[in-house]
Amino acid sequence: MSKTIEIIVAPDGGTRVETKGFTGADCRQASQFVESALGQRTGEELTGAFYQQTESEQVRQQNY
Amino acid sequence: MSHIVRIQTEVRDPVAVSAACERLKLPQPSQGVFKLFSAQAAGLGIELPGWRYPVVCDTANGHVHFDNYGGRWGEQARLDAFLQAYAVQKASLEARRRGHTVLEQPLEDGSIKLTVQIGGAA
Repeated sequence: MSKTIEIIVAPDGGTRVETKGFTGADCRQASQFVESALGQRTGEELTGAFYQQTESEQVRQQNY
Repeated sequence: MSHIVRIQTEVRDPVAVSAACERLKLPQPSQGVFKLFSAQAAGLGIELPGWRYPVVCDTANGHVHFDNYGGRWGEQARLDAFLQAYAVQKASLEARRRGHTVLEQPLEDGSIKLTVQIGGAA
């Protein structure tokens, strides 16, 4: 899956930034430049894919 | 998909302010101290259609100063349109600066969607 950042700019100028195709916490780093360029972060949601990757990493760590 | 962030726009980039004015066919902004009814504000002054006083962008702290007397001296929708244009131009500038491809698409509710392809050709 290709890596994209989707930015929705509302009619009042507020923005919503969503990362797609990233694994785990990489998405946070990838969209950082857009977030810091636009202004103040007012909220964040971590979606299923973020936790899924985190869980699989935890399982891998437990197996060592 | 991995995470969703909501951001309140701050106007900090004079280049993107200028690009937003061009996009909306507004006069180019000018730097100075502007009178807003009983107050004054320093920064980049923008003339919005139908507004009695300019909108002043203080790019040092991202604040936007204005006095439209609750809409009687200027429609809020004009300021909202400027902020939307600024955010679109700023996000596109930053993405292209990093060599990413940006696709712009208007949505039915008046929003503008930007799709940034990571690592795409500029």
